[in-house]
Amino acid sequence: MSRCRIFLALILFAAEFSQAATNDFFAQGVGLSRAGQFPEAAAAFAKAAQTRLASGTLVNLGIAEWRSGHAGPAILAWEQAQWIDPFEARARANLKFARPAAQVDAPQLKWFETASLWLPSDAWVWLAGATLWLAVGLVTLPGFLRRRKAGWQQALAALAFGFFLFSLTANLGVVSRTQIGFVLKKEAPLLLTPTREAEVVSTLNAGAPARRLRVRGNYFFIRTAYATGWISRAQFGLVCPDQPDAGVESPTGRTEPE
Amino acid sequence: MRFASSKQFLLLLLMPLLLRAQQPQGPTGGLMQLQVAQPAVDVSSPVTAMAVFDPPVVRPGEKTFYRVTVDATESSIRWPGKMSLPPELRSGANARGQLTQVLENKFRPLTSFIYEVRATAVGRFGITNFTVEVYGKPLEIPAAILDVVAENPEPQAARELRLETSATNVFLGEPFRVRVMLPAGSSNQVEALRELQLNGDGLMTDKTTARQSVEPVNLDGHLTPAFICEMVATPIAAGPLKFSAQGFAAGREFTGPISIHGQVTLPAGPTKYVLLVSDAVEINVRPLPSAGELPGFTGAIGKFACDPPQLSTNRLQVGEPVHLKVVFHSQGDLTRLVPADPPHSPDWLFIAGNPPDTGYTLIPLTDEVRETPVIPFSYFDPATAKYVDLTIPSLPLTVVGDSLPVQLPATDDETQSAAPLKLSGLATTPGKRVGSLKPLQLRAWFVCVQLVPVIGFLALGQWDRRRRFLEAHPEIVRRRQARRALGREKRKLQKAVAAGDAMAFVQHAVAAMRIAVAPQDAANPRALVCADVLAQLDSEDQCSAAGETVRKIFAAADARFAVAAGTPAGLLALRSDLETVLRKLEEKL
Repeated sequence: MSRCRIFLALILFAAEFSQAATNDFFAQGVGLSRAGQFPEAAAAFAKAAQTRLASGTLVNLGIAEWRSGHAGPAILAWEQAQWIDPFEARARANLKFARPAAQVDAPQLKWFETASLWLPSDAWVWLAGATLWLAVGLVTLPGFLRRRKAGWQQALAALAFGFFLFSLTANLGVVSRTQIGFVLKKEAPLLLTPTREAEVVSTLNAGAPARRLRVRGNYFFIRTAYATGWISRAQFGLVCPDQPDAGVESPTGRTEPE
Repeated sequence: MRFASSKQFLLLLLMPLLLRAQQPQGPTGGLMQLQVAQPAVDVSSPVTAMAVFDPPVVRPGEKTFYRVTVDATESSIRWPGKMSLPPELRSGANARGQLTQVLENKFRPLTSFIYEVRATAVGRFGITNFTVEVYGKPLEIPAAILDVVAENPEPQAARELRLETSATNVFLGEPFRVRVMLPAGSSNQVEALRELQLNGDGLMTDKTTARQSVEPVNLDGHLTPAFICEMVATPIAAGPLKFSAQGFAAGREFTGPISIHGQVTLPAGPTKYVLLVSDAVEINVRPLPSAGELPGFTGAIGKFACDPPQLSTNRLQVGEPVHLKVVFHSQGDLTRLVPADPPHSPDWLFIAGNPPDTGYTLIPLTDEVRETPVIPFSYFDPATAKYVDLTIPSLPLTVVGDSLPVQLPATDDETQSAAPLKLSGLATTPGKRVGSLKPLQLRAWFVCVQLVPVIGFLALGQWDRRRRFLEAHPEIVRRRQARRALGREKRKLQKAVAAGDAMAFVQHAVAAMRIAVAPQDAANPRALVCADVLAQLDSEDQCSAAGETVRKIFAAADARFAVAAGTPAGLLALRSDLETVLRKLEEKL
């Protein structure tokens, strides 16, 4: 019993320590931003985001990156903030401001992807699970319980099933949006082949949206609104990174492992 | 009217008188000096020639110099390739030189040819007059006489330069100091040297670092004042290298700064230019070892040290130059130190400093750099014959990217908001937190969680099916209930035996038998009597001890309804028989 208590205390202490460290980085970033030291502030916010992802941290990370002259990482950070919390007003306003300033478009979403924006991505999947099992329960439980199926139960089951079907499309949109990313570097080359000496198809503005279609080695095959081609991993940031629980990485600190 | 027009015409004629010509402004400073007329080079005066042996009297084997002086340019003289000397005279090294002397506001070229001569026999030898072509005209070189005597009462050494080197075994490219000395003459007068040069292939001389002095030197055991010129020479070819010095003794025409030590006597009167040479000196030049050469070697040889590099600033914008100050120290001269080649980097633009500045101007081309690049540099230490690393380390710095706007002007588009777009303020709290950006839809554990309701509904269905089955087969339920109740009664029976309570033993024994028999007849256990229990036993058991035990127990149980109620003794002894009966009855459940 005492061991369990010690174990629980250690877990709580670790959680508190992590929380405190995150807050330290966040507060440090806010202070540096107010002092005008935006590159250092961006590094601090990136550390805070790596420790604990939060929408406000990403909003501030985007502001620091933007003030440092990094349009691509800034737009990516705000998109990630919106991914966490679609109702984040600062992220939405900053994206609305930044895209004309950086001369880039917003990603072109399909209808079910647009629908998936109505709620947080995790909410859709919980909604799908809840409505499905509610409908199944309303249909099956009266039989098990040897009770007569009431009209309201059947109506509620139909409604839940309808919600379930709709949430399936939204969930599909969420999964589909994980392949959307943004160009991080200025004048990033879009290559014809996934090689270092490849012919350049065109150059992309920092912050330009694209959809990842394939992966090969150190390159992503992406489709933008105007062209398709290969781009180096270091120059393209996905809203939902591949690394499990990797959080966000400061795009300016990335190195190309070739 | 006519009068007025005449006055206007006269005024127009007088207008030029009011105009003053602009005075030409003469050049000032250095430009004025450039425009001062320089003395002309005199090539039209009659050319004269002079030939002498210096010294004119020697003993056999002693060195003397045959010197011919012509006041013409060296290039204008068609000098014979080989001198014809008497067989008793052996010619050694020769040299030639030219200088320009100022005579009566004119530059007069002077060329000297000098041959080292040694006589092998006593006698009077002469080099007859001969003709050379100067400025396209014949010029007679007068004859010169050398007296070679067996005994010279007043020996006069041939006047020559002394040449010393700081090292005789050097590496290719290693600078070393060369010291040319002109000892004072017979009257102890120190003369200057002009047009000093080193003769020999494979040697590069740096006259910019030459240092002149007059000081006493130890020559052949005697302290003699001498004019000394020190310079740095660098071998540029490997192997044995032989070189000598030559120069004109130029009286008191000292050029450049000079340090004088001790008492010095300077010659008076007009300067007499005399071409002097030195004996040849041989040094050995070794090639640099190729093994062990380090990156960044630019040919620096010697012993160097480098101060920690300094940046003019550690925070700058993309495209803004920053100066990296690198200061080298050396025991020798640094003017010929070639700075390290900066590495090729797509992130930096390098501009090497102009010598003698050994620093760099760096221009960041991207804001992703966090430190200056490492600049490899190494030198060769001739003392240890090894390459030494002197790499310039990187320094941390912050490069800020191009600034982006923080506000956009309001648009006139009616569909858009009229308010100007601008960057939001900072969030004061971290806001909504998540563990990962990866959505739940793509996480394995969430899929596993969705299996929980499935398992629950399946279990519910299985339970319902079992329930329906039991409803169709109630005997199964009765038997199961009977087994459970029989178990309970057995435990109570054991307790009664343990307590020695015969009455309780009888009650629980009766109850146990009734429970064990009831499912067979689908009857209530309390409604059963002894005959019902015996009916469930085999015919043999009914007549045996088992049947007797059943009867005794039921009889004892019925005895409580008698007028004189009492418990027969020895009932507890029926325990084992009762267990046998119960086991047989239980087997039929």
